Amino acid sequence: MRTSTISHEQLAALLADLVAAGTTVIAPTRAERGHVDYRPVSSLAEVDLGGAMPRRSLKELFLPPTEPLLAWQYRQDGVEISEVATAFPPRVVLGARPCDAAGLVAVDRVMDWDYHDQLWFGRRAATTIVSLVCSAVDSSCFCRAVGLAPDTTRGADILLRPTASSFLVEVITEKGEALVAAHPNRFKSAPEPLVSQDTVDRAGSGPRAPSPAPLPLPEIRSWLETHFEHPIWKELALRCHGCGACAAVCPTCHCFDIVDETEGVTHGTRRRNWDTCQTGRFTIHASGHNPRADQTARIRQRVMHKFAIYPAKFGETLCSGCGRCARECPAGMDLPEILALLTTLATAPAQRTEVVA
Amino acid sequence: MNIYQPHLVRISEIVDETPDTRTLRLAFKDDTLASTFDFKAGQFGEYSVFGWGECTFCIASSPTRKGTIECTFKAVGKATRAMRELGVGDEMGFRGPYGNAFPLDRMEGASLVFIAGGIGLAPVRCVIWNALDLREHFKDVTIVYGARTVSDLVYKRELAEWQSRPDVKLWQTVDPGGETPDWAHEVGFVPPIVEKAAPAAKDAYAIVCGPPVMIKYTLPVLAKLGFPDDHVYTTLENRMKCGIGKCGRCNVGPVYVCKDGPVFTAAELARLPQEY
Repeated sequence: MRTSTISHEQLAALLADLVAAGTTVIAPTRAERGHVDYRPVSSLAEVDLGGAMPRRSLKELFLPPTEPLLAWQYRQDGVEISEVATAFPPRVVLGARPCDAAGLVAVDRVMDWDYHDQLWFGRRAATTIVSLVCSAVDSSCFCRAVGLAPDTTRGADILLRPTASSFLVEVITEKGEALVAAHPNRFKSAPEPLVSQDTVDRAGSGPRAPSPAPLPLPEIRSWLETHFEHPIWKELALRCHGCGACAAVCPTCHCFDIVDETEGVTHGTRRRNWDTCQTGRFTIHASGHNPRADQTARIRQRVMHKFAIYPAKFGETLCSGCGRCARECPAGMDLPEILALLTTLATAPAQRTEVVA
Repeated sequence: MNIYQPHLVRISEIVDETPDTRTLRLAFKDDTLASTFDFKAGQFGEYSVFGWGECTFCIASSPTRKGTIECTFKAVGKATRAMRELGVGDEMGFRGPYGNAFPLDRMEGASLVFIAGGIGLAPVRCVIWNALDLREHFKDVTIVYGARTVSDLVYKRELAEWQSRPDVKLWQTVDPGGETPDWAHEVGFVPPIVEKAAPAAKDAYAIVCGPPVMIKYTLPVLAKLGFPDDHVYTTLENRMKCGIGKCGRCNVGPVYVCKDGPVFTAAELARLPQEY
């Protein structure tokens, strides 16, 4: 790994260079009512480097809430299909949350599962992700619980580590290397010593809470695989509205629908739109039979998919611990809390069974 | 071409199987694809009418019959109703083939027992013709097919052909009350007719497709006849969108029906949660 440093001034200049060269730079920005979102920026002054959690994850930059898959046009002698572009102009994400970058890697596995999704990977290839070590952990954050950390390099091309006066620049991938190589004057090669993880946790400002300790994910998975039927699912479902907000803000939830939208009598587009296993119509058959007919089945599916089904297929967890689901849930459902409960069940099942019975 | 983009196919023939069930024969518009397209019995595709959307069915024709593919469907939703409005010469979209297949290689040299109910004969018909086109590779071929009424039986011309073949034992049945005065075959639900037909389980495989309730009561009959549960195959028909393991819709416990299925043995089915 090549390490260098970049000052705030040079980072501002780098951003200006990129924008001037026509590269879209996307960064967390503070918008109206104090919300932070990932948006295109034109100067560093717009960027919130304080570590506040953007409301929505990076997912939508790669899997937009709605996007065309093809366009059709009825002609006299048949149908004409127009392909959509699968090559995209270059982009740089500056100041990505490490958990968001890690979430993309989890979705990569699905999008490359035998069939290579050119729309997802076209955008992935065009985008350089510069993550910023997370300095503002709040009470919903739980990256450590799922085996990540505020300075995880997973999914990042470059990781910026704030120091007192500048940023340490850790180049992770060739794409990151290319960005540094294209702007050599912005980076100083004399590396400061790497700061330890403890320093990172003390470095930031903002709300502070200890990120939960790593969970026994294999034990949780084994418990889930053997407890499809358990009173906990009904208990959780009683609180859940089934609104799907958790899935919308989740960096790893990737389920979608495919629908045709006519734009006149003779033409239109086939689109894919975000969808979620939390709604009742997600699984309904043409016959009217619905395999997941109630919220008990649907909340179970969400937990199972993230912590048992996906791990069984891809050997990892479909969760990067960003905590957005807990922050946004209108019913106060809290995934870290659910995981703590599952940990108790997985490690001391007898006690919990008594409580439930 | 991105993975969600369909091939264009042209309807070359329409057969009305029953008052509400129709078969379309589809020819690939692209000549190269028409001659190279290949699939295995049991695989499915995403069929679409542009402007109305995609729907998922098995390929109902046999891979041994090249050049065209067939699908059999009921008009129950938006896309299938639009498909029903199409005529010969009209164009549609097709993506596929997707999913796993009935392992005919594994079944070579064995007897085959096909059990189907209603429109469930479509995926089974694909395997039946595949096997009959390679007849010398298999021992006895038994087919038990039932529908609610005589008019609900699909592929009637083919039923007549199978009935007359000396190398096929066909049992046709309709639910009690569904018979007509001139109905010369069985009356009764599929599971008891399977029991009556009593195909030998030795060196045999069963392929079962139909409504969930038919499958539910047929599997114990097969077990009673001595079929091991890894010699009994069926297909799951979960709702799908992408068909290629991305959209998450057909996930049932540890499997994605579109990628790990749609063909499963009864043994595999028994290990799945009841979410299909």
